[in-house]
Amino acid sequence: MATKIDRRNFLKVLGLGGAGAALAGCDMPSYATLEEGEEQVFSYLAPEEYMVPGIGVWYASTCLQCAAGCGVHGRVREGHALKLEGNPDTAVNKGKLCQMGQAALQTHYNPDRITSPRIGDKNVTWPEALAYIKEKGRGAPAWLTGSIGGHQAVLLDTHLRASGGGTHYAVETINAQAWQAACADTLGDAQPNLHVDKASSILSFGADFLGTWISPVKFMADYGAFRGDQRGVLTVVEPAMTLSGANADHWVAARPGSEAAVALGVANVLASEYGVSISTLPNGAADAIAAMSAGRVAELSGVDAKTLSKIAGTLMSNHPSLVVGDGSYETAAAAMMLNLMLGNVGATITPGAELIPADLGVRSGSTKALADFATDAGAGRIGTVFITGTNPAFTAPGGLKIKDALNNVGLKVALSMFEDETTALCDVVLPLASSLEDWGTHVPATGADRGEIHVQQPLMEKLYPDVLGLGDILLGLSQDAGADGLADFEDYYGYLRTAVSAMIGTELEPAWQAVLQAGKVQAPAQDRAFTANGALSFNVAETKAPAPGQLHLITTARQGLFDGRHANLPWLQEAPDQISKAVWDSWAEIHPATAAGLGLKDGDYITIGSDSGLITTRVFTYKGVHPDAIAVPMGRGHTDYGRFATGIGVNPLSLLDGTQDGRTGEFTNTATVRVQATGDNRHLVRLMDTDRQYGRKLAATITADQHRRNQANKQGSA
Amino acid sequence: MSPVRPKRRPFPWIRTIMAAGVVGALIVLGGQMLEQERVGGESPVTEAGPRVPNAVFPTDTFVGKDVPQPINYSHKLHAGDLNINCLYCHTYARRSKVAGIPPTAKCMGCHTVIATADEKPEIEKLTVMWESGQSPAWNKVNDMPDFVHFSHERHLQKFLFDNPDMKVEDSREVCAMCHGDMVEVGVAKKMRPLTMGFCNTCHENNDGPADCTRCHK
Repeated sequence: MATKIDRRNFLKVLGLGGAGAALAGCDMPSYATLEEGEEQVFSYLAPEEYMVPGIGVWYASTCLQCAAGCGVHGRVREGHALKLEGNPDTAVNKGKLCQMGQAALQTHYNPDRITSPRIGDKNVTWPEALAYIKEKGRGAPAWLTGSIGGHQAVLLDTHLRASGGGTHYAVETINAQAWQAACADTLGDAQPNLHVDKASSILSFGADFLGTWISPVKFMADYGAFRGDQRGVLTVVEPAMTLSGANADHWVAARPGSEAAVALGVANVLASEYGVSISTLPNGAADAIAAMSAGRVAELSGVDAKTLSKIAGTLMSNHPSLVVGDGSYETAAAAMMLNLMLGNVGATITPGAELIPADLGVRSGSTKALADFATDAGAGRIGTVFITGTNPAFTAPGGLKIKDALNNVGLKVALSMFEDETTALCDVVLPLASSLEDWGTHVPATGADRGEIHVQQPLMEKLYPDVLGLGDILLGLSQDAGADGLADFEDYYGYLRTAVSAMIGTELEPAWQAVLQAGKVQAPAQDRAFTANGALSFNVAETKAPAPGQLHLITTARQGLFDGRHANLPWLQEAPDQISKAVWDSWAEIHPATAAGLGLKDGDYITIGSDSGLITTRVFTYKGVHPDAIAVPMGRGHTDYGRFATGIGVNPLSLLDGTQDGRTGEFTNTATVRVQATGDNRHLVRLMDTDRQYGRKLAATITADQHRRNQANKQGSA
Repeated sequence: MSPVRPKRRPFPWIRTIMAAGVVGALIVLGGQMLEQERVGGESPVTEAGPRVPNAVFPTDTFVGKDVPQPINYSHKLHAGDLNINCLYCHTYARRSKVAGIPPTAKCMGCHTVIATADEKPEIEKLTVMWESGQSPAWNKVNDMPDFVHFSHERHLQKFLFDNPDMKVEDSREVCAMCHGDMVEVGVAKKMRPLTMGFCNTCHENNDGPADCTRCHK
């Protein structure tokens, strides 16, 4: 007979067993849980008057988490930086700061930081590492960096000149090169100012200006004004929904690569239906617009005539507008044609400013530079390369075979805070100070008041004694190479202070303190002017539906992990993705109809294969993707990037073949891929797991029509 | 006839669980009694407690552990025999959430002149640290959990500066409300439990705020 658990026994067990368990669970409600003598506390040796333990002091500095160059204020308490916020005195970010900027603290305090120089696997001292570089270096050294500006860029140029005239490759996977090329061709100014706040309507062709494009925090702040009392209308045309797309009033899915066709189609409608003149457009544009009939647009992009009319109507009735586009040169140029037709140039697009010491300006990173580097390295033209601020072994398209190219370089020196896929291939690794430990000046990507550049100052002492700032390393290398006029400077701080003092015309301490307090300094600058347009040629891609079993892959960029550089920050891995709400893993966005056609459902594992690579990830069905497309966000899939990033998710960039845009030389971010189910299925962990509210009205909604009627009633009664 | 099989006794699950429960309860109760013994020892705090008018001060018999320190700093000598005000050294207490350990410069301000390194071995330790540019690594005696925000400034304001019947010279009495009489203790020791119950009792008696987020923010 088995023990019978009847009602009486059940209650007995629950009563007495439970009482014991409950008492044990109390963990002795006593004083024992509070610590005595477990932690240590240090006092100041000699106190600074403004330093009070327990009270934070805010210092101004500059954010280096992306190339936008926002100003920050950092709270420092007991010698440690504790919190970052936007600097309200800057025109760029106006006191705002994005999640990547907030997470700079985790870059700084990251437990995976490199703390000592090393040669191969062996930790060495700085003199040993520098002697090794001197001994093994061959030929004029090249530099492979991210976007870089300010006095670091000046020193970098100095080093290149002094050491034999090597090349500087500035690489940035998420960039606006196509837009800049189109602006340069049509306006004679590659970096005009864009006034989101002054527009009444915005039309974006794949330029995620609220998420990752050029200076997202600036655009977000301006977008707040755009959506203010006179509510502007946002239309977004793109193959996979971005953060900007998710904010749009009208979101249009276009087949990957066909955005230019839609833009020219809208121009066609404006010209034919609304009589907007195209005679003033550059040569070549008029023909391209005339050729893009509604039928042709539908054939290339899948966007119908009604949608084109609606987009054109919105632009016509909400003036001035702003049209932006990126991803390919044609898209950007077609967007610029719309701006010219609608008279936006001069209204929402105004000339930028040129810094007078032009060598301070930003060297904007591109993927063309990476292609050039791979070519030069592959041909054996590079003997020594210094790599910093970029991780080509991770971000390069799989088809580029960047590792072979890197291995062809005689001596590879990485200046890095973290071990990553690129430092693993390098012969010498030099430990870099974090952005909160270093000095510098940075030229914002856009949006600064004329000639204003942001100053970066250390918020705290270096966490590790052996790390060095980028400026200090550049100065040391330049001095070593015998550059003129640098011998007197003991460190980069001295160099920077002298340079900034020359800029403000005084060497007095209060003036320098004022610069540090403001976090910015006024450099001499002059406004650029728009020039007449030359001829343009449009090579509109012949986009069509993929063959059965194939899809167009889009590698999408997200604010957060960005191009993968922030994958080692747990805050950003943990922050739900803006579109899928997924955390700590990769996924592939597929339109529900496409998924149904392939027999796929949410959580199904699929392999995505191209000629360049193969990845395995999970399906996330989502209507914000064109039915011909499969979208995989980049940033995850690190094989060697510390404890938080390694082994998390997959890297879609490995599927790209390295095809370059004909006009800009940028890598395209699309590829044709084969998709196959593996048969496995596992739930994708997402915040807000469902789109349904199960009748609970968690978020109350009304239809747009109803809203308009309410507004009309309000105005009627007022 | 089938052979008679010895009947297998079923495992007495119910009794086992109940017995385990009783044993568990005994262990916990016993542990608590032992704990009671430790904290129930003789308290060096004066019977009368701190003399703070307009305040109901908490009473407790808690006595903390002896915490070894790099330098045997005596509160008895400094605050008692020499009658130095607590706020002279813990100068941040009236300005910040933490009272702060005095900067080494402050110690040396006196000890380069009186009771110098030549005279006292403990001062020699301090002097060596000062000259080598290091602060002593004190072991934390009163350590609040990270989820509790306690402000010295706020409490001193209420019980000392805003208290019409208190003189700043007597700050020691206010400090003693939560720290016991450090003069009696000598080398610092935790003299009040500083548990939530302890805080709450005082807050109730002195009309302190009772909302959770005031301290747990």
